[in-house]
Amino acid sequence: MKLQNLSIKRKLMLITMLTSTVALLLFSASFLFYDLISFRHFLSQDLATQAEIIGYNSAAAMAFKDEAAATVTLTALKAKEDITAAILYTPDGKAFTRYVRANIAAPSLVENQPKFEGIRFRNSYLEVVHAVSLNGEPVGTLFLQSDMSQWNTRAKRYAIFLLVFMLASDLLALLIASRLQTLISGPILRLEDTMHMVSAQKNYEVRALKFYDDEIGRLIDGFNTMLSEIQQGDSALQSANDTLKAQTLELESEINQRKQAQDELLSAKRTAEDASRAKSSFLANMSHELRTPLNAIIGYSEMIEEEIQDTGQFQNVQDVKKIQSAGKHLLSLINDVLDLSKIEAGKMGLHLENFEVAQMVQEMVSTFQPTIAKNSNKLEVSLAEDLGQMRADVTKVRQILFNLMSNACKFTNHGTVSLDVERNTTGNRQWLQFRVSDTGIGISPEQQKNLFKEFAQADVSISRKYGGTGLGLAISYRFAQLMGGYFTAESEPGKGSVFTVHLPAKVTSDAVEAAKAKETNGAQAEAPQPVSQADTILVIDDDPAVRDLMFRFLVKSGFNVVVAADGEEGLKLAKRVQPRIITLDVLMPGIDGWEVLRRIKADPELSGIPVIMVTIVDNEIMGLNLGSSSYVMKPVDRALLTDLIEKHRKGRPSNIADVPVGV
Amino acid sequence: MSTILLVEDNEMNRDMLTRRLQRKGFNVVVACDGLQGHKLAHSEMPDLILMDISLPEMNGWEVTRLLKSEGDTRHIPIIALTAHALSSDREKAFEAGCDEYDTKPLDFARLMGKIENLLTVKKS
Repeated sequence: MKLQNLSIKRKLMLITMLTSTVALLLFSASFLFYDLISFRHFLSQDLATQAEIIGYNSAAAMAFKDEAAATVTLTALKAKEDITAAILYTPDGKAFTRYVRANIAAPSLVENQPKFEGIRFRNSYLEVVHAVSLNGEPVGTLFLQSDMSQWNTRAKRYAIFLLVFMLASDLLALLIASRLQTLISGPILRLEDTMHMVSAQKNYEVRALKFYDDEIGRLIDGFNTMLSEIQQGDSALQSANDTLKAQTLELESEINQRKQAQDELLSAKRTAEDASRAKSSFLANMSHELRTPLNAIIGYSEMIEEEIQDTGQFQNVQDVKKIQSAGKHLLSLINDVLDLSKIEAGKMGLHLENFEVAQMVQEMVSTFQPTIAKNSNKLEVSLAEDLGQMRADVTKVRQILFNLMSNACKFTNHGTVSLDVERNTTGNRQWLQFRVSDTGIGISPEQQKNLFKEFAQADVSISRKYGGTGLGLAISYRFAQLMGGYFTAESEPGKGSVFTVHLPAKVTSDAVEAAKAKETNGAQAEAPQPVSQADTILVIDDDPAVRDLMFRFLVKSGFNVVVAADGEEGLKLAKRVQPRIITLDVLMPGIDGWEVLRRIKADPELSGIPVIMVTIVDNEIMGLNLGSSSYVMKPVDRALLTDLIEKHRKGRPSNIADVPVGV
Repeated sequence: MSTILLVEDNEMNRDMLTRRLQRKGFNVVVACDGLQGHKLAHSEMPDLILMDISLPEMNGWEVTRLLKSEGDTRHIPIIALTAHALSSDREKAFEAGCDEYDTKPLDFARLMGKIENLLTVKKS
């Protein structure tokens, strides 16, 4: 049991005991020592005095050699217990008389006078030799011997007393120490208990009790401060833990939600894919199913016609021809409808191949001679030198050309149909341009609006008069779009029409994808290659054809173009994009152009943007009053529009009344 | 009189074509599926074969390939008749060994032109 590892209580008590014991011991020892020394001195003085007295008393006896008297005097020493021997010597050193205490061995009793004077300690006896004299004459010598019994007794007594005293004191000290040590050990033990409790229960709210404002008190304060900090840390940890748990739960539930959403999406995707497959197979089947019986009708009627012609029944020939004609018309309707369905479903693919443009055109043209001749028209073909090769879907290009040409032939009588093919470069891409113009009946502005829409042949009477399905242009338009190209049309009623299709010289599948996406999402086109430094023009028009035309045209002219299909969208886009110029159609569903114009001019963010009204409505004055910058009528004269845009870009004052000339 | 083998599974088409060809002066033999077509090609040795592509038993490409690989039928010109008009079909046709190719719905006059072309070439 190492002393260092004793408990504080024991240590303190031990310290106290040790200290007090040592102190007492030192004190007692020195006291005893001092006392005994001085007693010894006293004893020797006392004996010396006694020697003197006895010497004085025996001086007479000595002088007169009265032995008896001297012995009596000496015997009186019996009263003093500690005197062991007394011897008188004559002056010549012989013992005269003596006294020896009873039961004492006469130790070193010398017959002769010891040869010293004064006091001496010898063999634990105190001895005095005193010269006796009477009236100044030496008459002898006295030798007194005392044992130290007094001294011994005293020593013994004192020692025992002191021992007892020490013990008693020690005991008392023990008692007091054991009481008072709690002043120190108490707080420490309490602190120890508190510590155990804290670490066992992990309870950091507990605080150690402070007893006194001493070092231990400060230790306890420190301990408590530490506990507070631990408590804070612990509660922060707890709350962080809780937050983490909560967040984890949130995350888990979000993950579950996402998983669910993902599953839903996957299953929706599968459903969509199934639907898509169903559509494709439907279209393929219908295609085949619809055409097969028609082929029979047309085929057999042709056969009958041939057989009848042999037999010369010409009346019947006419009837049969009517069946044929109806059948053929039905067939082209079905073909067109199926084509459009395919396009609508996004299932119209492109089969790209390289081919010689000039060759393709010439092949086509040769099949057109009969159609030209039918209305006594003339055909003029002009092919540029550098047409070269093109990469596109030949069948579709042929179909587009066929459509344009047959339209031109249909609507022209005793006139001229011209086909011009050119190649040019616009905005670092190569384009092929096929222009079909005629000197036919032309198309009125009203009709031009619906030109590329399905089932919108100018009017029903025309359809009956001239034939056709009314779908051809719509399909051609979509085909052009699919290949990344576009259409333009101009016409003047009574004078003729010009239809131009512009196709990229290298059709790519990107263009196809983009076009397909546009097809199925509606026309929300943004410039495919934004020229960041270019000005932005916002086109607001509900007609997808117009939007597209404007888009193509403006992009070609080097602008960034954004389009909106109605007023609300247009306003939103305008605020977001802050275009340089806005072109605005008047007749729109929802809020019409005038309202949009009003709102633009009323909004401080937008009022500074020049607005060009593009419309068929002839309300120029209203436009100018409301702060429209300019006013252009549809069909848009592109040159005029370009001029206007330039003017406004350069920031000339608005409200210029540009009188439009519709072509 | 030249003999034309017509391999076509659709009854109406078969009937129409047969009669029209006969009126033009051809002797017409018909087969209703690919296997029969192959058999008849060997047994009849026609001057020209009109091969529909979508046939049961064996499709038109396969029959064409077979006939073109067999010594006694190799020389017979074959015109493929298909409902599709994709360029890939044209390529496939010529790859299989067809001499000509036409699309349905048939333009009879156009078809006649091709037939006459091939028969004249053959003769010369």
